[in-house]
Amino acid sequence: MHLTQDLELFPEYTVIQLLFKDVKNATELRKMAVNGEIKGALINPSMVVDAFQILVAANKAVHLHKNGKMKTRSLYSEIIFNLSPTNNVSDIFHYRNTAEIFICLQCAVLTEFNVWQISEAFKRFGISDSDSAVLIVLVHNKDETLSVDDIISKVDGQQVAVDRVSDFTDVAKIKKACLFSHSTDEEQFRVSRFFAFV
Amino acid sequence: MAHSDSVNASVPSYLKEAQMIKQGAEARVYRGKFLGRSVIIKERFPKLYRHPEVDEKLTRRRTTQEVRSILRCRRAGINAPVVYFVDYTTHCIFLEDIIHSVTVKDHIASAQDLQTLADKIGETLAQMHDEDVIHGDLTTSNMLLVSGAEDQNMKLVLIDFGLSYISALPEDKGVDLYVLEKAFLSTHPKTETLFERLLKSYTASSKKSPAVIKKLDEVRLRGRKRSMVG
Repeated sequence: MHLTQDLELFPEYTVIQLLFKDVKNATELRKMAVNGEIKGALINPSMVVDAFQILVAANKAVHLHKNGKMKTRSLYSEIIFNLSPTNNVSDIFHYRNTAEIFICLQCAVLTEFNVWQISEAFKRFGISDSDSAVLIVLVHNKDETLSVDDIISKVDGQQVAVDRVSDFTDVAKIKKACLFSHSTDEEQFRVSRFFAFV
Repeated sequence: MAHSDSVNASVPSYLKEAQMIKQGAEARVYRGKFLGRSVIIKERFPKLYRHPEVDEKLTRRRTTQEVRSILRCRRAGINAPVVYFVDYTTHCIFLEDIIHSVTVKDHIASAQDLQTLADKIGETLAQMHDEDVIHGDLTTSNMLLVSGAEDQNMKLVLIDFGLSYISALPEDKGVDLYVLEKAFLSTHPKTETLFERLLKSYTASSKKSPAVIKKLDEVRLRGRKRSMVG
């Protein structure tokens, strides 16, 4: 039921995604992610259009992690940050070079601007205490042991197939978050459009 | 040293396994598998004949310009390949591989009714120029038609943004169209009326077209083998 994908560019890493619905202990899970009991990223599936999007974000996070160029403190927070289309702050920060807004440059200095962006990303893409659906993303290094069942047992909810993530997608919320300037019909608003920002 | 080698070795070692499809003066193009999908990788390799610092700056700038142009087009709803990943250390762009498609060049050679195609191209270019994106290398080989969608639902995809940049100047847009005109008429003989139709569609779809067409006419008067008497 969970989805596994090896990262071709980083063969020692595998990305595993698990999707749960009717989750009753979101608060607990969040605490566990923060204190490291669950070594994964907890994502709100209503902001996710397709599992592929997570793979792209994870790939970029691992790349930046290996090059020491992450903007956040951990690999998992970096995945959440990468899901966020950072250009949504362009309205406020006009003075900023548009290049930096479209493309995440290798800027090691954590400026005030970045801190704001990161907290926004968490607010939108991370899970909140009231969420009933959770997408857990694990980045597994083949040298380490990992028990997926261990993680599943910690979730008080029902596991569903990851390819059903589109059941939870809230298109209106995503459109609002990403501020698409051109409103196209639903058919056009597909995964590929979302990747304009990844 | 050893650590940085292993860190940066991921993309080059991946490219060794991938299939190289073209090598140009600027970049090498590969086809490979990435996250379970078929991708095109464009690698701007280091130019040893240049000063290393200059080369690094120039290559990085070209890569970011290309990616920025593609993303800008996509945000506006224009069909262009999805950018999956950009590695700024090796200057590699991982793009969606548009399968089941044919270049407009091949399509024109084989198909009969090209009116809707001309309309569609004009419309797409108008949209692109309205976004202030200059393609830089508009030719019929850099436009793909996705198979399956025909006539009214035609899907035209623009590729190869390697020479593209952002500019609002009508002059740049006029030159962009001029490049297309030259490429069009030299590759496809006796298609003047088709190109006329394309320009008509462009004029109708673009909000800023009058200035651009004016510049296009001016540019036509320039160029090679043109007398600048006037």
